[in-house]
Amino acid sequence: MLEACIFATIFCGFFGIILKKNLVMKIISMDVMSTGVIAYYVLIASRNGLFTPIISNVKNIRYADPVPQAVILTAIVIGFSIQALMLVGVMKLARDNPTLESNEIEKNNTP
Amino acid sequence: MSNITIAWIALPLFLGFVIYLLPKLDKYLALFVAFASAGYALQLFLTQSPLTLQLLDNFGVILTVDQLSAYFILTNALVTAAVILYCWHSEKTAFFYAQLIILHGSINAAFACADLISLYVALEVSGIAAFLLIAYPRTDRSIWVGLRYLFISNVAMLFYLVGAVLVYQAHHSFSFEGLRVAPPEALALIFLGLLTKGGIFVSGLWLPLTHSESETPVSAMLSGVVVKAGVYPLVRCALMVAEVDPIVRTFGVGTALLGVFYAVFEKDTKRMLAFHTVSQLGFILAAPSVGGFYALTHGLVKSALFLITGALPSRNFKELQHQAIAAPVWIALVIASFSISGFPLLSGFGAKVLTTKNLLPWQAIAMNIAALGTAISFAKFIFLPRGGKAEVKPGFWAAIILLIGGLFLANIAYYEAYTVENIIKPLATIGIGWLAYLLIFKHSILKLPRVLEQFDHLIGVMSLILILLFWKGFAWLGI
Repeated sequence: MLEACIFATIFCGFFGIILKKNLVMKIISMDVMSTGVIAYYVLIASRNGLFTPIISNVKNIRYADPVPQAVILTAIVIGFSIQALMLVGVMKLARDNPTLESNEIEKNNTP
Repeated sequence: MSNITIAWIALPLFLGFVIYLLPKLDKYLALFVAFASAGYALQLFLTQSPLTLQLLDNFGVILTVDQLSAYFILTNALVTAAVILYCWHSEKTAFFYAQLIILHGSINAAFACADLISLYVALEVSGIAAFLLIAYPRTDRSIWVGLRYLFISNVAMLFYLVGAVLVYQAHHSFSFEGLRVAPPEALALIFLGLLTKGGIFVSGLWLPLTHSESETPVSAMLSGVVVKAGVYPLVRCALMVAEVDPIVRTFGVGTALLGVFYAVFEKDTKRMLAFHTVSQLGFILAAPSVGGFYALTHGLVKSALFLITGALPSRNFKELQHQAIAAPVWIALVIASFSISGFPLLSGFGAKVLTTKNLLPWQAIAMNIAALGTAISFAKFIFLPRGGKAEVKPGFWAAIILLIGGLFLANIAYYEAYTVENIIKPLATIGIGWLAYLLIFKHSILKLPRVLEQFDHLIGVMSLILILLFWKGFAWLGI
């Protein structure tokens, strides 16, 4: 069930990238897609259990796998920085074009 | 040796940021990094056994360097050095050199790593640095082209991440070895990411616009090495996991034909070179075991060609045919064109012969057609009029001499190629190609539509490739 929800998020994002015309909306769709991917990592990590793997007095509880979580942290940071960079690019484009429609910008800027 | 490897990976990233602090030393530091990489690659050729480093247990970073990565690293080093020399007397700021060196370092990391997550990080860093280089002129067009590149590569890498976690689920590590036990959907997702990033087949059609609309030195860098960061992992996977070898070869043949088909009909010099890059990447994938040497040759020759076309008076072939170009520039252009068509005495010949020897029987006809297409498309350059005068940048000749000298020197890597039958075949191919060009293609006015290169279509094609990979490829092979 959870897995289905996550895949639905990824696909919503993916189709948003294709179908939305506005560049900012496209970038937000990409963010939705990457949220789905991150959630999938968290889901895979929690297959064995939900507890954080920290030393404590409680014995024999089922820990979540720390490796996918650690890995996805990197991807979150990278995704966030790329998003920031893209929004700056869109900002500069929007200053010179009266529109943010991607096909208009494409028409003006391809030889 | 393992300490040297780690220092070598960290050096460009470290010096890239030092350049910001010491902007006066920018060019010297950048050139130093490129030479350090070249030295490291030459040292790798001397060590016989592959070096594998496992940092922090089996969940951590896995690095593997051997002769295959040595070829790729050498390509990276030489092309970066040439680009720095080309820009030496220009007005580029320290920011440009810093990004160039960070790009160089991230690509080096991609050529050394053997696990999926460090590869992801390396590819994303190279994507960001490449975006900043493409958008360096700050014009509307350059920003849009860069934005499009970043968008497509990031979406592809998101698919790749999903594939990576599926591999982890099956194998409990992120190493390439895990592909053997991974489910087919993981393979399909990872391959989609790498194919798109590397500019292979239909999902790689973002490449022509991006490479042709960037500045001359940036296109040389992009076409020479950046796409190889996506191709190298495919080659590595095909060598490590024998089951995926047929898929990689099939995509190689498809790409070689598709790229050369577009290149033959193209009327714009830089776009022709960019389409031709697509086709040459197919040659690298068609015979993975010898892909390294081909990548070296192609990197040298393609960056030289991009730098030379920057010195030509026009980008349109029709105009160039009525405008004489300076004799020295023409000679450099012809040497590079000869190498890429596979003329003896240049390393393009050795690479073509070596690749042909390692093809499977079903690939041979298609690859010969692709080689013929190469000869046809480069006849456009060879038959240009000469004798005019041209103003070239001061750093131009240093860069070209480095690259073309590399082409001559690289011959020694495979000198066994020089037998009579090996020499006759490329000459015949070139002859037929020239005839076909002079009789048919010189007068053709066919203009291929660019529908497939629109942004939305490029993203949409990804889903089609994914379905194709999953159903027709992996499920069919029964992995």
